Amino acid sequence: MNRRTLLMTGAAAALLPGAALAHGPTRQKLTTSVEVAAEPADVWAVIGDFQDMSWHPAVVSQTGEGGNEIDATRVLFLSDQGDAGPKIAEVLYKYDATKMTYSYRITEVAVEVLPVTNYSSHLTVTARDGGGSVVEWRGAFYRGYPNNDPPPELSDEAALEAVGGVYKAGLDALVERFGAPAS
Amino acid sequence: MAAAARAAAADTGFVTCQNGDALSVLDLVTGEERARWSVPGKPAGVAVDPDGDVFVVSPDSKQVRRYSTAGEVLAETQLDGGPIGVASDPARGRIFVSDWYNAQLWVLSSETLATMATLPADAAPAGLAVSPDGAWLAAAERDADAVRIYDTETLALARVVGVGSRPFGLGFAPDGRLFVGNVGSNDVTVLDAPSGEVLATLPVGERPYGVGFAAGRAFVTNQYASTVTVLGLDDLSVLATIDVGEYPEGIAATGDGHVAVANWFDNSLSLIDARTLKVTATFETCDGPRAFGAFILPGDPPGDLP
Repeated sequence: MNRRTLLMTGAAAALLPGAALAHGPTRQKLTTSVEVAAEPADVWAVIGDFQDMSWHPAVVSQTGEGGNEIDATRVLFLSDQGDAGPKIAEVLYKYDATKMTYSYRITEVAVEVLPVTNYSSHLTVTARDGGGSVVEWRGAFYRGYPNNDPPPELSDEAALEAVGGVYKAGLDALVERFGAPAS
Repeated sequence: MAAAARAAAADTGFVTCQNGDALSVLDLVTGEERARWSVPGKPAGVAVDPDGDVFVVSPDSKQVRRYSTAGEVLAETQLDGGPIGVASDPARGRIFVSDWYNAQLWVLSSETLATMATLPADAAPAGLAVSPDGAWLAAAERDADAVRIYDTETLALARVVGVGSRPFGLGFAPDGRLFVGNVGSNDVTVLDAPSGEVLATLPVGERPYGVGFAAGRAFVTNQYASTVTVLGLDDLSVLATIDVGEYPEGIAATGDGHVAVANWFDNSLSLIDARTLKVTATFETCDGPRAFGAFILPGDPPGDLP
């Protein structure tokens, strides 16, 4: 179960003061996509609601405000401990149901949960040539350690690996749910 | 300034690509990538001198290099800290490099890159710019919400000016006013460098990063909005908001009335006609273009043409 991807570094989620403000020298980027058999509208119906990320296996529950309006917020809870456990707070900054895409930022996360800062991301569904859909998830972020010479668990590589793990878990779950395209 | 003449004397963009450890040398008329240099250490900051010295800062490996336009490394140094931004003062044979981690600026010899002096700054200095008359150096201090103005001749601190939240990139307009992009407050502070007087604070798009100038206008890249906000230099009104690629960052003017914008996520450079405010071309670059600084070498001035 991919829930572990987010949880393995533990729930000792003390926030680093200032971590959300300072950042490392090199912003990282990652684009991951999968193809699924379902048509875009059907996929969007499942993943296009900012207030419902239950399609991702790491998300146990969530709260939020503002629906799919710009500046809507959500908090994703990654354990059955709810607010007391590991969590990620996010804000919506672009939403276009016609283009089937939304963009959001992380406003608060402990680096023990996800070793990144200044994280922003887009989730987009497009039609696949020959039927079905392409779901693309892309993110831009800095490593979890804002200062020079990071420890390995807060390095650029660790940030890429952790975000890659989150994306893969979510997208794999969509393939499982909708099936892969036949051809 | 005939179009035909320009083809033989095109401006050249030296686009630092942080994720790709590379630099794209782009013909800014045809979009041809004339060369792709390998630049180790995650290059970000860049400053191109009129005589063709290309200074590149690699924050990850803490190196500063001086290249010829042909890509030869002419000088190299490693600094103890977090070098990021760079600006050149060719008249005095010096470059300035910001130290993101140690709240200071380095003053390096353009020729050898030897450290000539260090200047105390405040928290997280990033973008640097030298005024058009060469008299002032401005440094955006991201975590101090301030800009420091230094006298480039004496290297003395002249002013500390409070600006918006998290200033990162900045640029001097041709008229000498300083424009500062505040990524935290989504606005631009316009100030008079010699007096330190704040002249205006202008809301722009989300995460304003770089500022360029052409055709009597200021162009501000908005990272999160994937747009460029255009401001009239006469009355500071918003003239347009132009869609560009994703994560637009470095921006600079060409000699022929365009501005070039590096789109970090898309690995592309958007060319905007500064008069019509349309995107006229999009060129491919290496991976993760930042072009953080004065990255364009003007083509031959009209007087040099046959």
